[in-house]
Amino acid sequence: MNDPIENSVENQAMDVSRRYFLGRGAGVSLGAMALGLLEGTRSSAAEKTNSIGLPGLPHKAPRAKNVIFLTQSGGPSQIELFDDKPGLKKWAGKELPESIRGGQRLTTMTANQKQLIMPSRTKFKRYGESGATLGEWLPYHGEVADELCFIKSMHTDQINHAPAMTKFLTGHQLAGRPSIGAWSSYGLGSENRNLPDFLVLISKMKRPSDQPLYDHYWGSGFLPSRYQGVKLRNSKEPVLYLRDPEGLPRKVRRGMLNGIAELNQMRLEKTGDPEIETRIRQYEMAWRMQSSVPDLNDLSDEPESTFELYGPDSRRPGSYAANCVQARRLIERGVRFVQLFHPDWDHHSRLGSWCVARCRDTDQASAALVKDLKQRGLLDETLVVWGGEFGRGVAGQGKWDSPEGGRDHHPRCYTMWLAGGGVKSGMTYGATDDFSYNVAENPVNVRDLHATVLHLLGIEHERFSYRHQGLDFKLTGVEPSNIIKEILA
Amino acid sequence: MCVADELNFSRDILPILSDRCFHCHGPEPTHREAELRLDQRESATADRDGTAAIVPGKPELSEMLVRITSGDADLLMPPLDSHRKKLTQKQIDTIRKWIAQGAKWGKHWSFEKPVKGSLSPQEKKQNPIDVLVQRKLAAEGLSLSPITEKQTLIRRLSFDLTGLPPTASEVDSFVNDQAPDAYSKHVNRLLKSKHYGERMAMWWLDLARYSDTDGFQGDATRTNWPWRDWVVQSFNENKPFDQFTIEQFAGDLLPNATLEQKLATCFHRNHMTNGEGGRDPEESRIDYVIDRVNTTGTVWLGLTLGCCQCHSHKFDPISQSDFYSLFAFFNSIDEDGKAGTRAKPYLKYKSPLVERAVQEAQQVVNDRRPLEAQARKQAEKEFEPWLVEQIQRVKKGFTPWTLPQTKSLKSVEGTKLTQESDGVIQAGGPKLRQDDYRLITATKLPRVTGIRLEIFPHPSHTGGKLSRGPSGEFILTDVKLQVRRQGSSQLRDIEIASAVADVEKDAKGRNYGKIKDTLDDDPRNGWTTESHDPKQKHVAVFALETPLVLDEREELIFVMLHRSTTGDANIGRFRVMLTDQPGQAVRSLERMPLEDLATARVTVASKVDPKLRKRLLDQFLTDHGAFQKMKANLDRANTQLSQVKKAAGELNVMVLAERKEPRKTFVLERGVWDKHGKEVFRAVPEAILPMPKEKTKDRLDLARWLVSRENPLTARVVVNHLWQICFGVGLVRTPGDFGLQGKRPTHPEVIDWLAVELMEHNWDLQHVLRLIVSSRTYQQRSDVSSELLTRDPENRLLARGVRFRLPSWMIHDAALQASGLLNTATGGPTVMPYQPQGVWAEMFMGRYRYEPSQGAAQYRRSLYAFWRRSSAPTFLFDSAQRRVCEVLPRRTNTPLQALTLLNDLTILEASRELARTAIKQKATLPERLDFVARQILSRPLAERERLVLQREFQASHAHYQKQPDDALRLLDVGQPPHQSDVDPQELAAYMVIASMVFNLDEAITHE
Repeated sequence: MNDPIENSVENQAMDVSRRYFLGRGAGVSLGAMALGLLEGTRSSAAEKTNSIGLPGLPHKAPRAKNVIFLTQSGGPSQIELFDDKPGLKKWAGKELPESIRGGQRLTTMTANQKQLIMPSRTKFKRYGESGATLGEWLPYHGEVADELCFIKSMHTDQINHAPAMTKFLTGHQLAGRPSIGAWSSYGLGSENRNLPDFLVLISKMKRPSDQPLYDHYWGSGFLPSRYQGVKLRNSKEPVLYLRDPEGLPRKVRRGMLNGIAELNQMRLEKTGDPEIETRIRQYEMAWRMQSSVPDLNDLSDEPESTFELYGPDSRRPGSYAANCVQARRLIERGVRFVQLFHPDWDHHSRLGSWCVARCRDTDQASAALVKDLKQRGLLDETLVVWGGEFGRGVAGQGKWDSPEGGRDHHPRCYTMWLAGGGVKSGMTYGATDDFSYNVAENPVNVRDLHATVLHLLGIEHERFSYRHQGLDFKLTGVEPSNIIKEILA
Repeated sequence: MCVADELNFSRDILPILSDRCFHCHGPEPTHREAELRLDQRESATADRDGTAAIVPGKPELSEMLVRITSGDADLLMPPLDSHRKKLTQKQIDTIRKWIAQGAKWGKHWSFEKPVKGSLSPQEKKQNPIDVLVQRKLAAEGLSLSPITEKQTLIRRLSFDLTGLPPTASEVDSFVNDQAPDAYSKHVNRLLKSKHYGERMAMWWLDLARYSDTDGFQGDATRTNWPWRDWVVQSFNENKPFDQFTIEQFAGDLLPNATLEQKLATCFHRNHMTNGEGGRDPEESRIDYVIDRVNTTGTVWLGLTLGCCQCHSHKFDPISQSDFYSLFAFFNSIDEDGKAGTRAKPYLKYKSPLVERAVQEAQQVVNDRRPLEAQARKQAEKEFEPWLVEQIQRVKKGFTPWTLPQTKSLKSVEGTKLTQESDGVIQAGGPKLRQDDYRLITATKLPRVTGIRLEIFPHPSHTGGKLSRGPSGEFILTDVKLQVRRQGSSQLRDIEIASAVADVEKDAKGRNYGKIKDTLDDDPRNGWTTESHDPKQKHVAVFALETPLVLDEREELIFVMLHRSTTGDANIGRFRVMLTDQPGQAVRSLERMPLEDLATARVTVASKVDPKLRKRLLDQFLTDHGAFQKMKANLDRANTQLSQVKKAAGELNVMVLAERKEPRKTFVLERGVWDKHGKEVFRAVPEAILPMPKEKTKDRLDLARWLVSRENPLTARVVVNHLWQICFGVGLVRTPGDFGLQGKRPTHPEVIDWLAVELMEHNWDLQHVLRLIVSSRTYQQRSDVSSELLTRDPENRLLARGVRFRLPSWMIHDAALQASGLLNTATGGPTVMPYQPQGVWAEMFMGRYRYEPSQGAAQYRRSLYAFWRRSSAPTFLFDSAQRRVCEVLPRRTNTPLQALTLLNDLTILEASRELARTAIKQKATLPERLDFVARQILSRPLAERERLVLQREFQASHAHYQKQPDDALRLLDVGQPPHQSDVDPQELAAYMVIASMVFNLDEAITHE
């Protein structure tokens, strides 16, 4: 009687090793079928089944097969873009009533300044049959308004970028938990055996962003590292170390790999260590990745109409728009979770140029992605999520009545939208007060969003945990979280 | 009842209670249900209205047993809605038996003081580890495996104690030494090696979350590396672990503290620091203090104290107020939560280990200066005929700027653009607030190096000025340059390196004025000539990063963005022209050298004015590839030299120091930084080891408590780490959690023996390491039969040696050692080993750039590599992240790692240099292959292995003989060797072989 409780950690290791993939998808060689691309566990406990995710998952029929997460980093202003508050005009320049502020903490950037109300800098328009209101800086969003489900009552408890983004993507403000993409990869795997389950695309920007995008935003935390998001770089080498050196042609490389495999096989016979078997297969997979991955960055086979739909910027590799095109292509190839990051939404000043610039980067392509998925019949099975780590406050930062004015961070309410993948279209959920300062109805916590996304993927968040340091960790954490039933189609 | 049948509370019962019951009936009060605690005997056996959860000796009367076996869902424990699993039948039987045996209580094993078990006189003659391991094996009907081959043993030992493989001669000396003490001689040699301290430091730096930057936004650089050298030095001195602990916790509080003792306290400043704008520094400071408590918990106590930040521990007997009492020890540091260069307290420290680095850097400069001079000389020779050619060329005049052919002229928002005959473009149509102009052109120039933009006033503009906007002034926020190929849907961005203008508005901060702000794609700044004469032409010149050669199917696209905050400042009239002239010609607005040459009307080169001649020479050199390459090499060397020299001065090292006025400490409710609960004072957790108040005054007392002979945890946790160093996993496989939810030791008697041994020997780490590596258990063969593998897949019984992949840093260092490239210097400023280009630049959008170290500094051990917290060295896969303390090694096996080992520049360069040595030192193919194997694998090749390598050698050699250019390109990795006197085709083929051997599973494995 060595260990009286079942050894959960080891059970999990077994679960992981069950994911040594066997034949799904024709035309994949035996090596590729026999293991996942980035698998990273010892094969000693290998028990091979044809399950691609954890056994028993999904818990129920999924509404969404894939997720495209359009992360807008920095905190887009809901007041300019989504949350129309015409009543604010008469409050222009007046101090925010304490009854509304209710002791809300401010960042040190505006803590010492009077909270003077700055009404929206944009005009709002109604769109579509749903009559959604959108600021004038997002004209293309208007064209797909009837496909979107706006959540105007998002809220978080973090007021600074890194902790808020960490919470938004991992459920906890400190780095170290798995990201939502890693959780989904862990639970569900993906259908493509030649690509990672979870890919990350970051917009190429010229200006150094004040908010670096830390790799723990797509990290695997305490989950095995094979579930972490793989960042596709916009360079000749989309994945680090993918390119063979100059002067080493494929023919020579192939010979090297054959030789390495033979010698490793000899070592396997001598030592009996099954880890060597895994190593042999990983070198084969590396060889295959060298051909399959570089193709991902190549959009040259897309017809001209694609670029017309996604806008001129989509012709520029690495742009947000080009990444939107790529996200659709990856979903078509069976990648489970694609996450885009667009930085620099942190408009503390000059909304009229700063916020506008980010809208111009993203508006047309985000809308085009929804249109494109719909016309290809993929929207039903793909959940698109658009949003950032928090919103912006109603008080002006700097002078409220000058073009220089901007807005500080605001965690108490902000807007996101979802589309496709089992979510109701043409709907708005939740509302804020007259100042877009507090949630007035149907609050949605970051945890609720996570629970809902998992639900749409067919996972019950309460039953989806991983044992670490003796505790069962869930994406949704220990505090109560609810699926937003009202937005489910 | 036989003794073996006696249940042990700590081993058999506590884990069940902890996992299934303590969540609601444990030490943590807020989630406690029914006021019932099952972690304490009094509560569990207390009378509760006539019943008790546990009635010792009477399972049938114990309510607990009723509830865990109940068929009634309302009564069943744990309740269904707790999402905790029902107890298994086996567990229920165990509980029943335990109650029947009298429900004997005890403490969790790691909270009991460790004691050595008793050994028979016969057993006392053996290594106690072997005795205790064999006892368990015997019970399982197993025995130790034989001792492994000598080559494998010395290789295993060298990696474990120094992190490096043995040299070929060290292998030979061990293999050929038949003396009975041959092994122990080598153990002693390795423990005395200066590389021992480096190996141990790498372990300690991961625990200490050591990094050369802050982490978080900004991720500013810090200069704490002298502390890293203190760690190396301490291990090399074999400083007793209690002293090592005391100095790091409280070196500053020791009487007559030395500079080095103060330096030691940097340990508790290695946490991340957050300089994010808008963040309350006090919140950050609280985070730092919490990090220190958590790190102390993990590293010394093996406890997950982090849980207690928000609530009392659910499983371990540590309360929230215990947590904040520990917090109080670290709460009065003279710090204010700031980051970057304002992260006081600092120690001014001058490192004695910089001089060598300065000399090395100077050497690189010295080596490269003559190469640059030589290249310049050669280039100057070529300049003369070029000058003659240019004189001929400009005879008929010279056109500095050429008008491109306009293919398309459009605006995004609707401004009408019309081009006139002289190429000038006039804006008309609607007067828009913002607009982008897009000019698609073609050119016959052989290349494009720069673009000139002229802005003209016009009577149709407001006030006859430069724009049709209300003020007549323009703001150009950004420009973009792109290339599009006919038939392709894709655009290519062309980098612009610099921009100059005749005049610009004086702008402070982010505002409209400077021409260079048109290059950052930020609409909040840009170029305007406002405040200068608006009725005059203005000019700007943009220089391309690298000359652009267009073929006839390619078009050049120039985009001018007017996206300022206020708007209404679009350019009214302008012209765009191109040039192919390099250097100063496009970096200033002055006349170009060839323009002046044309005006000078000289016919022979000797008549050219010396000043002009100099300018022409500069321009010529700008275009001279061979010279530029040498110059860039020298520039890099000079930059490195000046950086190293900076490190030679006084550095600010972050250390601990108490502030004059101590801060009050409060329990923070739910762990929130400004939600003060009750006040608490410095104290240590009683459940571990109580200590009277007068002995818990300060950090010094805390450190002494940690390394007290009575503390049940510290010594166990430390020896477990030492075991993990030698066996890949600890005796407790959760090295950071010795609490109730952690793993129990596979060999409790061994961990306790070693813990006591450590304390009895004055916390001598080398003594314990020596004991471990001298055991037969350690020296066993690591081969495994399929029978044993099935029986014990995780090697929990230790019936064989361990086989596991080496940490990536050892793989890196081993490649340097095997190839002879390793620079064995100890300590000093950080270095930059090769990593793929652009990794930092991508993350920080260009704010930081990674420049690999030049010369000997490139070949230092991984320990000295600059560690950027937000982007750890890329070649160190599976390493600790160094954000917070991490103690569990990661060991995955992925294709990404295969790619790293195949294509990392360090491995490739090591392959090339090892190949070179093999060719020079050995004459025949088999000898050379054998040489490569001995250097990398520490053993000769078997015949059938040699045949495989021979075959691949011949295949690749044939290729490089056919394609000699491929050989040259392959060899051009890393830094060029000082001498290159072997046949490149042969060298390339052997390089392929060496790279193969570096990639073998055996090469990267602890066998």
